[in-house]
Amino acid sequence: MFHPRVIFRVIGMLLFIEALFMLMCVGVAFFYNENTVQSLLSSAGIVALIGAVLVFLCKGGNRNVSFKDGYIVVSLCWVVFSLLGTLPYILSGSITNFTDAFFETMSGFSTTGATILEDIEALPKSILFWRMMTHWVGGLGIVFFTVAVFPMFGLNDIKLFSAESVGPMRSKLHPRISVTARWILTIYIALTIICAVSLNVVGMGWFDSICHSMSTIATGGFSTKQASIAAFNSPAIEYVITFFMFVSGVNLSLLYLAIFKLRPMTLLRDTEFKTYLIIVAVFTFAIGLGLFFSPGDMDAESSFRASVFQVVSLQTTTGFATVDYAAWMPLLWLLLCALMFFGACSGSTSGAMKCVRISILFKVVWNEFKRIVHPNAVIPVRMSKRVIPTAVQSAILAYTVIYIFTLVAGLFVNMAFGIDFLDSFSISVASVGNVGPALGNYGPMDSFALLPDGVKWFSAFQMLVGRLEFFAVLLLFTPVFWKRR
Amino acid sequence: MRIVIAGAGAVGTHLAKMLSSENENVVLLDESEEKLGRMETSFDLQTIIGDPTKISALKDAGVGEAELFVAVTPDESRNITACILAHYLGASKTIARIDNYEYLLPKHKEYFASLGVDSLIYPEQLAAEEIATSIKYAWMRQMLEFGGGALVMIGVKVRENASIINIPFKELPPDIPYHIVALQRDDETIIPRGNDCIKANDIVCFMTTHENIPYIRQICGKEQFSEVKSVIIMGGSRIAVRTTKLIPENIDVKIIESDLNRCHKLVELVDDEVMVINGDARDPELLRSEGIAHTDVFIALSDNSETNIIACLAAKRAGVSRAVSEIENIDYISMAEKMDIGSVINKKKLAASTIFQMMLKTDVSSVKCLTFIQAVVVEFPVNHDCLITRKPVKALGLPDGANIGGLIRNGAGVHVTGNTMIEPGDHVIFFCVERVLKKLEKYFK
Repeated sequence: MFHPRVIFRVIGMLLFIEALFMLMCVGVAFFYNENTVQSLLSSAGIVALIGAVLVFLCKGGNRNVSFKDGYIVVSLCWVVFSLLGTLPYILSGSITNFTDAFFETMSGFSTTGATILEDIEALPKSILFWRMMTHWVGGLGIVFFTVAVFPMFGLNDIKLFSAESVGPMRSKLHPRISVTARWILTIYIALTIICAVSLNVVGMGWFDSICHSMSTIATGGFSTKQASIAAFNSPAIEYVITFFMFVSGVNLSLLYLAIFKLRPMTLLRDTEFKTYLIIVAVFTFAIGLGLFFSPGDMDAESSFRASVFQVVSLQTTTGFATVDYAAWMPLLWLLLCALMFFGACSGSTSGAMKCVRISILFKVVWNEFKRIVHPNAVIPVRMSKRVIPTAVQSAILAYTVIYIFTLVAGLFVNMAFGIDFLDSFSISVASVGNVGPALGNYGPMDSFALLPDGVKWFSAFQMLVGRLEFFAVLLLFTPVFWKRR
Repeated sequence: MRIVIAGAGAVGTHLAKMLSSENENVVLLDESEEKLGRMETSFDLQTIIGDPTKISALKDAGVGEAELFVAVTPDESRNITACILAHYLGASKTIARIDNYEYLLPKHKEYFASLGVDSLIYPEQLAAEEIATSIKYAWMRQMLEFGGGALVMIGVKVRENASIINIPFKELPPDIPYHIVALQRDDETIIPRGNDCIKANDIVCFMTTHENIPYIRQICGKEQFSEVKSVIIMGGSRIAVRTTKLIPENIDVKIIESDLNRCHKLVELVDDEVMVINGDARDPELLRSEGIAHTDVFIALSDNSETNIIACLAAKRAGVSRAVSEIENIDYISMAEKMDIGSVINKKKLAASTIFQMMLKTDVSSVKCLTFIQAVVVEFPVNHDCLITRKPVKALGLPDGANIGGLIRNGAGVHVTGNTMIEPGDHVIFFCVERVLKKLEKYFK
């Protein structure tokens, strides 16, 4: 059963939060004395008004959220947030086309980081800040953010929370969801502040530091520069960002235990973290080697730096770039695509498959070989010393199938709009995995502006589906879900 | 407060749900992943997979910081072991569910406490006690005693023949020897005000003293109920065995059990006077041949709530004036009430009362859960200087949903009016909705 009143009331309340974030951008506009104050204020006003109307119309009635309500609220609120998140762009005239604005906002909230902007530096700072804000909120998740920051909204219904925070295995830090959310938020904010300060220390201006820090910790990928991190041309900045991207790819719960509870061993005992570490190391080495030996004048340090930055950026699905990897030799593209597919740890802000699933998948496949040799053996799949139940294994296989299916659907749509194979494929991989920049003509130094509208809409859909890990959104497209019986 | 519950069985999950809705920090520990199932995604609590008797699992569950540890797995030895370990790891209070009457004897209490088991609950015993009371007073739904019997709370379902129905409370004479704390009408709990009145088929909670029970019986029109002489129990469960030990010897008891092996076991467990019959108690033919028409009370105690409900309906149709059934599914209780099958026994609610008592930080004499209303009755002792002694009752600003049923002063029950001043040394009986309980605590600090 679903209860429209509950759903719209909750969404109405969430919209107040979005209005609040817009008001923060008004603050930035005031600070830099920009002419966007009025457009940002009216965006916030419109959003707050819609929220108020929804809350007013749907007040009273049932207070309990059912499972179905949870899924509808979560999917719908991401769409509504992205629709209304276009207002600052459109009202300020920064992006005039609605499709483009929606693509940019969805890319922001889903922490994808693909952009249709072609001259980022020309935009007012307050609008750039709004782009980063979408990343920063979307990194943790809209509902999660609200639960953590505004417990008095009474939205800490566990069903909303479980519909948004998906993953093969959940780990709660504290029995109460509101406390868990607050702890995660603490580490999120702490990381953002430390990252911003570090960037400033190594020579980035405060505004750029804060913006890049928000984008890095959310593993988003929006930059305040058209040329991304390459624009700064500073090895120190590149190393700092590499480090923080890597940290943001770690499960935030584990990070909390390791740092705040002084239990660093929990990290090293975690199979997923180890997998993550190994993938980063192996790919950095392989790509570094490839760069070192490819024609050009890269020395050992710069090829290592370029390699580790790109590897971490793509694996954590951030999408920053210091070099135009679309110009690298084609063999390396394959490795980059694999990274975009893998993703970092579950429970982090990154997207894509996540290391835990990759690790389990490999073990399942490996076990099939073992089973041929030892037909009667009972072979478990272990993660962090825990045996993974068959139900979880098959859920992961289903996840993989639906992931690939969504990839192929994107490939199909993109090619139907006349884009060549490499571009279509990489756009699809980058969108579903919430990475951002693709390969070919849509690499890190290019903009998505030239894509046909249909591709933009479908990519935005892929971003949403990928961010909410498929089932929550796709469930709404199944007839079973809507049956009352 | 952090509460760790070991064992996600019927009692454990009920407690977990209830406590998490009271905003406690609940951790549910069980070794079976299936049992924990969707608990974590549906309720605001944490589930940990692990054996409650393993130190590592207890540590994972954060027993060290727990203020209350409740072991309610099906096996009493494991519960006791788990409590001992939890105490060792630093849990403040521990409760074990047991299955052995001997453990409950007061002389062993100290020994268990020295082991680290602070409190024991035996839901089957509590259920049997409640059944025994309901046999003694067959015309009531539930009776709870406070202050060693100085005050009693009784729940009665009133019919058309009662003399107190349809009279607004403000028109009742002021010197009535009882106080009505609540009414249950269909699914609604009413805390009565001056303009409310009792209607037929309401369940009325009276607070009164022992000597006025016959008067209450009279005004409720329940005089046709004769003294209970014979009882038929369906299902030879543990509760049934405990019940046979608690009811007076002059009552004739028959247990009908469908499993022959269990029957053989039963005859070893019960006293000689109890007759064990092998058969299905839902069979009207069997009931008739066992003289159901001349039986005073039919008690359905099989493991299956649905079976119990059907059997009680069948027995009532066959002519039993009074039926008691064990219903474990809480959603069925209000349904059973509408079908008019009589008193309901629920082990989970009984166990929950004990836990509630342990949860409150103030020293509470007793907490009792009502089966037919979502409410609890609590006896608070009044210490010096607590908030409640400072103003007359009407000026205290008590939370909605809480109602003073009466107080015990010097061992005697006293009626409370708006002008009563509560004095140190009194015991106050509160009737309150479950969620309000914690708010009341501050009045006694």
